[in-house]
Amino acid sequence: MNGGDDLRNADAPLSSGIPIPLHEGRQIGSGQAAAHTRSGIAQMSEELPSPDKSGSLWKTLRKRTRQIREEAIRTLWFCTAIFAVVAIFFILFFLVKNGYPIFEQIGVWNFLTGDVWNPTGAPPAYGIYPLIVGTLFVTLGAMAIAIPLGIAVAVFIAELAPSWMKGAIKPAIELLAGIPSVVYGFFGLIVLTNWIRISFDVASGETWLAGSLLLGIMALPTIVSVSEDAISAVPRAYREGSLALGATHWQTIAGVVLPGALSGITAAIILGMGRAIGETMAVIMVVGNAGVVPEPLWNILSPIRTLTGTLGIEMGEVAVGSSHYHALFGVAVVLLAITLAVNLLARGILVRVSEQHTATTGATRRARKGRGETARPYARAVLGIGTLGLLAAATDVLVAAVAAVTLFGAVRVRRRVSPKTRQKIAFGLLYAVTGIVLFVLGIILFDIIYNGAPALSWEFLTAPPSDLGRAGGIGPAILGTLYLVGGAILFALPIGIGAAIYLREYTRGGRITGIIRAGVDLLGGTPSIVFGLFGFAFLVLYLNLGVSLLAGQITLGLMVLPTIIRTTEEALKSVPGSVREGSLALGATHWQTIWRVVLPPAVPGILTGTILSVGRAAGETAPILFTAVVFSRRFLPESVMEPVMALPYHLFILATNVPGARENQYGTALVLLALVAAIYLIAIFVRTRYQRSIRW
Amino acid sequence: MQKDNCIITAERLNLYYGDKQALRDVSVSFPRNQVTALIGPSGCGKSTLLRCFNRLNDLVEGVRIEGRILFEGRDIRDPDCDVVDLRKRIGMVFQKPNPFPSSIYDNVAYGPRVHGARNKKVLDVIVRESLKKAALWDEVADRLSDSAMGLSGGQQQRLCIARTLAVEPEIILMDEPCSALDPIATSKIENLINDLKVHYTVVIVTHNMQQAARVSDFTGFMYLGRLVEFGPTARIFENPQEELTNNYVTGRFG
Repeated sequence: MNGGDDLRNADAPLSSGIPIPLHEGRQIGSGQAAAHTRSGIAQMSEELPSPDKSGSLWKTLRKRTRQIREEAIRTLWFCTAIFAVVAIFFILFFLVKNGYPIFEQIGVWNFLTGDVWNPTGAPPAYGIYPLIVGTLFVTLGAMAIAIPLGIAVAVFIAELAPSWMKGAIKPAIELLAGIPSVVYGFFGLIVLTNWIRISFDVASGETWLAGSLLLGIMALPTIVSVSEDAISAVPRAYREGSLALGATHWQTIAGVVLPGALSGITAAIILGMGRAIGETMAVIMVVGNAGVVPEPLWNILSPIRTLTGTLGIEMGEVAVGSSHYHALFGVAVVLLAITLAVNLLARGILVRVSEQHTATTGATRRARKGRGETARPYARAVLGIGTLGLLAAATDVLVAAVAAVTLFGAVRVRRRVSPKTRQKIAFGLLYAVTGIVLFVLGIILFDIIYNGAPALSWEFLTAPPSDLGRAGGIGPAILGTLYLVGGAILFALPIGIGAAIYLREYTRGGRITGIIRAGVDLLGGTPSIVFGLFGFAFLVLYLNLGVSLLAGQITLGLMVLPTIIRTTEEALKSVPGSVREGSLALGATHWQTIWRVVLPPAVPGILTGTILSVGRAAGETAPILFTAVVFSRRFLPESVMEPVMALPYHLFILATNVPGARENQYGTALVLLALVAAIYLIAIFVRTRYQRSIRW
Repeated sequence: MQKDNCIITAERLNLYYGDKQALRDVSVSFPRNQVTALIGPSGCGKSTLLRCFNRLNDLVEGVRIEGRILFEGRDIRDPDCDVVDLRKRIGMVFQKPNPFPSSIYDNVAYGPRVHGARNKKVLDVIVRESLKKAALWDEVADRLSDSAMGLSGGQQQRLCIARTLAVEPEIILMDEPCSALDPIATSKIENLINDLKVHYTVVIVTHNMQQAARVSDFTGFMYLGRLVEFGPTARIFENPQEELTNNYVTGRFG
């Protein structure tokens, strides 16, 4: 190597001193080319090699400035990416720091297993066992509903629905995902709990059953869309192979497609579970919030209390710095640990799925073989979760009975009936299930629109509330929500896009990227109530921003940041590498390539992600609960340091604390729903309008 | 063939992808204003070698290169070398046409624009001349603002060539430019290559031995990462010195 260096050093001064008359030499012979050079290239100042010294100095200078600019841009994106890590670090740090005193005071084991949660009693009791049980039971109940329905709808969309029907059902499912949780909670409180109270003849309908039904509906869209992706990703060749052997369509689905999509569907289930575990507002409104373990254990008509619900209810009234305060942070730490585990599991499985469908060369196949060993623990965990899911189904007597009957029926049917008839039965069931899901969506929408429409008027939309919200309007709440969302996006968009550009365009794996990506994923799986707690502890108290618009905007911004990063990354990923090489091969710099070639076709994807984030932020209640909102305020805030009204919070308080405001409750729910639905429709429009225009 | 006539020279080039060695001690010089073809079976390192000359291998993860590549007497792998300027002077046409998802005009104007040309009239001239040189002008003159993605594969590839010509490179590297094209489009591109050598040095990687025989003045035969033989095309095909080359060009393996 040393010898080579010496050679190079000896060469360099010699060769750089020799002027190279390349252009002049080459251009002789064609008048056309000469014209080209004279009129065109000569005007690009740096193009012609200047033989004199000042020219080469100029060239070096240009090179230096270009390098500095590239480096500055790279550093900028690196900083935005690192911000995501700092954010997750801060969230973890503040939760653990504030939760630690309670672990020290009563011990981790006592905290986890104590069976009484009564922080305001004398003496206070801080056992979260009933809360953990509550969270698990509500989630398992929800899964018993959402898993069969979700998979059936996914199969229907991916395999059976003609394209026009697909075009209608997919947006409907997305709308189901877009309905704010406080609107679900409101519907659950007004309609669902009443229905349960009357049909089961119990004193109150606010029960485990109500929570599970509602969360089941809420987790459904996640399960449907991720499962559908997994099913669609099964290669066509598998289907054709099965059909070519004379199997019916249903046999192909059951025997080839579903097994092929199994790990993707598993991940879908886990992600849906994560959504259910992290849900706060809807749960608070329908489960009764009594911190008891159901007696007997399978009593689905018992009230129940979850980890998230406890935070949502008690955080607002706790004395800062008390044991109770620290205990709530302890709850948040436990909650975070559970969702973290769930999301890591799902992520691991999804990574494996994508490898399965993309790897083709011998080397990667060998690599995958090696990874198959390490993937075993995942499989075992999946089995464990599957067993838990089955247990949930077993506790749900009704579901178990239905399952047994269907199973028995299926076995008998299998023996007697031809494959064609079996297919008819199976497809009939799929149609029926999809119909039921759409029907439920229809009921929710109909109820809110039918009861909310009479409340709408110009005055309702613009005036401030009076008589505790029973009269007057929601004008300040609408504007407050827009302020909150606008600020959150202004904060999150540049950071999110920058981080995505850094992750996708400037790195090739490596440890730092791994840490950043993991940080982003963790941030993405964090329940919204935890963001609320963090905002409260760090922004409101530690930074002394107070309950203010600014604190709410930052909290919401942190919450939507992972979504923006992820969708931007997806959009950048869809631009093929060959186009990047084409640009670089023309002598474009890295940043010129990104700015002029990679970003333009990615804009629709980024836009869609951003709009969806806006929709999500507009409907969220939990993050702003303790950071930004007040219930009633006649005037708009004059600065970002003042609190605001917001639609979801207004609806929450109206529904839970103000009797006799039925009309304005529905009116507020309708306005919130319409706002979010409009945002989602715009996103869907942008996606369908622009995504087809480019075929690589 | 004398060294003076060579525009770019590789000396004892060794390249590794991780543990796998893709180039073994390759030394080769490409003569100025000539077409040189690199032939050899799949995976022999032709494309890898080609991508060394504009340092596109830099983008590949885990790649390690030893040896020197001299362009105008300077090692292009020197940290001092301006890779952006290098790529401007050594253009490349890829195996699969990769037009940018913008208009035909913008595709050709892209290179001059990133190098600082702003004047609309100047750009118009560059675009027209480049498209003419790439034998595409007559087919697209009346629809320059249409999307490049709507062109046929052969047209897209000629557009990519026009795009490369627009930055006035000295060397054009072509990585199997016809492998994704039909015979008619292929013959158009081959004629084009013939015209190009008046002004440019062309290095073309190809799978197709007839193509190498038709378009090139010099041919290098590569096998398992080594440059087995290099010489005038006629000699390589009619009177190869190496047994391996002989077996390959007579179709005894491939």
